[in-house]
Amino acid sequence: MKAIRIMAAVVAFAGLCFASAALAAPKTVTVATDATWPPMEFVDANKKIVGFDIDFMNAVAKEAGFQASFKNTAWDGIFAGIAAGQYDAIISSVTITDERKAKFDFTVPYISIGQILVVPKAEKGTKIGDLKGKKIGAQIGTTGAMEIKKVAGVELKTYDEVGLAFEDMAAGRISGVVCDQPTAVTYALDKKEYSNKFKIVGQPFTKEAYGIVVKKGNKVLVDQLNKGIAAVQKKKIDQQIKKKWHLK
Amino acid sequence: MLARPGRYEKLMSIDAKKQIIDVGDGAAIPRKSDRGLFTAWRIAFFGAIGTLIYLVQTKPDPYLNILKFVPDGILVTFQVTLGAILLAIVFGLFTGLGRISKNRFFNGAASLYVEIIRGIPLLVQIFYIYYALGRFVQVPPILSAIIAMAVCYGAYMGEVVRAGIESIHKGQREAALSLGMNGRQTMIHVILPQAVKVILPPVGNEFIALLKDSSLVSIIAVADLLRRGREFASESFTYFETYTVIALIYLIITLFLSKIIGVMEERVSVNK
Repeated sequence: MKAIRIMAAVVAFAGLCFASAALAAPKTVTVATDATWPPMEFVDANKKIVGFDIDFMNAVAKEAGFQASFKNTAWDGIFAGIAAGQYDAIISSVTITDERKAKFDFTVPYISIGQILVVPKAEKGTKIGDLKGKKIGAQIGTTGAMEIKKVAGVELKTYDEVGLAFEDMAAGRISGVVCDQPTAVTYALDKKEYSNKFKIVGQPFTKEAYGIVVKKGNKVLVDQLNKGIAAVQKKKIDQQIKKKWHLK
Repeated sequence: MLARPGRYEKLMSIDAKKQIIDVGDGAAIPRKSDRGLFTAWRIAFFGAIGTLIYLVQTKPDPYLNILKFVPDGILVTFQVTLGAILLAIVFGLFTGLGRISKNRFFNGAASLYVEIIRGIPLLVQIFYIYYALGRFVQVPPILSAIIAMAVCYGAYMGEVVRAGIESIHKGQREAALSLGMNGRQTMIHVILPQAVKVILPPVGNEFIALLKDSSLVSIIAVADLLRRGREFASESFTYFETYTVIALIYLIITLFLSKIIGVMEERVSVNK
């Protein structure tokens, strides 16, 4: 009888442990990213999504006690997906803007970056305003596209991916591309086929902060992510990741 | 439109007396005899216009803003579609004639063209002509979109032309030849004028299909109707509203065109 009682107690205890373990077990958070934006997020030769944002997100997830699983999503429509609940968060070089803040919730900024202009080597202009009457490309719905739109007299051409804009500039159809500075460096300086054709001109002309996007009102996840970001920044893990991807 | 094996095979077995080519890829073309479809057309057409007006009236933000943003896109869509259909008819005529030619070279070239083009999805062809060929020849975006669409539809059009020509009764050709016409004269003065009547309805159909497929060119930075919509949506985040408007505009255009083609078709069949 006593033995049975002990056994029952052990089973109950084990069950309790199991239940609490299940509760504490790392939850998986699905994160969307448009992996066409090197070095922030892109697909490497092994078809794996890699980049600064990916490493950063994994570090944040580790600190916050969950697991991140990434979903490669086209930029055009990436915000619609979060509104529809297809994933929990977006980390995809998303600049925090007022328009976006009105529709979605952001974490605290985790890196700041600026837009920069890339032009063919022969081009003399150094800013968007110098290219009046010409076409400048950017990825659809990006802050780069919005910056071009602000300047009267230049024609904005939008592309599904920023790489296609660079390819079009290589073919001579457009006279400039505006994108985030690290991406510009990757395309204009690191890519062999482009490095002797393009140059980066001027300094980054915007100051933008990237944030992780979650659905409006998902306070639980924002708090969790902010906690993770704070821990990552405190431990200077983000500095290591920056170094790894050659970001300043 | 994806290559659909067998799509035009039907055409070969046309009943020569009826001379009706039934290809369904565009919107259904309303005919007077088809009362059910006729009312369906009315409901869809006026329903779409009504819905659009209602949305703009009741919620100007964002619907009116969207409507104001896209008109130049509609123009580009029409430019691409018209340019492509005209070029496709030219390609189609040569391909169709090549396909029935006894000259082994022409026949082989036309058949090869049809085989290759029908085996490659239109989306891939558009990408290919724009980016791959862009490395060697400079073609403006709209023109390269038109070429890509025309090259693709030319192959299908060729099959329409071939089927149209083959649908003309053998006796016509024999009579023309017996009157002393040569093969070329027979084709130009006797066969083709008759074939045009048979070809016209499916060409109209192809036109509508092409208009819809022209939305694919939005991937190569041609600012057509869909691209304008995507630009608006991606900055205002009004995806549902924007695509509702875009869909309604496409629907209104295709329904309107299908009506015109239906009328044209009836005219053609009256004086047959």
